Amino acid sequence: MKVRKFRPTNRLTALIKERGGIMAKDAIAAAEAGVESLRESSMAALDEAIAEIERRFGRDTPERVTEVYEGLYVLGSRIIDVSAFVSDAGIDKAAVSLCTLVDSCEHAGYWRWDAVDVHIDALRLLRAHGAELPLDQREAMLQGLYRVSNYRPEEA
Amino acid sequence: MSDALLPSTRINLERATVLVLDDNGPSLDILSQVVSGFGVKQLLRAESVADAQTLVRTKTFDLIISDVQMPTTDGIEFIQWLRREGGETNRYIPVILVTGHTRTSQIFKVRDAGANFMVAKPITPKVLLERIFWVAREDRAFIECDTYVGPDRRFKHEGPPPGTDGRRKDDLPPEVGDAQTPNMSDDEIANLMRPAKVQI
Repeated sequence: MKVRKFRPTNRLTALIKERGGIMAKDAIAAAEAGVESLRESSMAALDEAIAEIERRFGRDTPERVTEVYEGLYVLGSRIIDVSAFVSDAGIDKAAVSLCTLVDSCEHAGYWRWDAVDVHIDALRLLRAHGAELPLDQREAMLQGLYRVSNYRPEEA
Repeated sequence: MSDALLPSTRINLERATVLVLDDNGPSLDILSQVVSGFGVKQLLRAESVADAQTLVRTKTFDLIISDVQMPTTDGIEFIQWLRREGGETNRYIPVILVTGHTRTSQIFKVRDAGANFMVAKPITPKVLLERIFWVAREDRAFIECDTYVGPDRRFKHEGPPPGTDGRRKDDLPPEVGDAQTPNMSDDEIANLMRPAKVQI
């Protein structure tokens, strides 16, 4: 097999070093301020995703058995996308655990509904009270989810 | 510039043209706000790989930040397309992939997509700026062959896998062989370390 190894010009290298610009701390502060303006719409998107998960995949929805794995995976991913605003509540970690669970279900070829229900309950609880929970309690809850989904944060 | 991104490090992204790609609107908004906050003036957004491909065909970019999980065509396929068919001005530009979760079946695909770096969602400005700084400074060789086009994945230079001789001309064997000259004495070593006056 023919392999070509070379060093192409990286235009970004020259641009980022040009005179002027801003200090990294100011760039980060400006970015954080910009993101903060999206808090409300992001929280609405997060709540919408949790509500849709409950509506389509909750234990009160018998038709959930006909749903495809991709549907729940995408909704879990949408929660992760906007969860920086509520990272102190652990919702991002619970959503990653949910995606791991759905991925393993798809791989196995069958749903583990008890495990799905536990994750939905946890997402609802963490959204409502996650930030107020004592750290050890929140961590214990997340560890419980990881055991159910077989998610290993140290390998992620 | 120093190796690490310090709070006082100056960066200038005003003239950089950046493409951000994410199919999820709220996520694309966050990504766009973060990149704009870094001072980027030329920011183009795409909500699908098809839109991104159209932009790549018509504009020259300096950086692409793309989501991985997308319907129809995902970020992995987009980067593979970019590296082979993205045109000479865009084929080799730095690419940062962002993802909230990687499916087990996609771990190797992501590794072999040809991206420069992977960043976990949810995105935080600090982490993303550190990674942009890193890809702007890296001096990694590019590899182009039948099965892969992208930055050299073996950039840590830890040698070939144990028990193998390696496949590259510059791979060194794990054993360096017997010494060709006598060991240095303690005094000789100490003399190497000793401060000495220098005439300028």
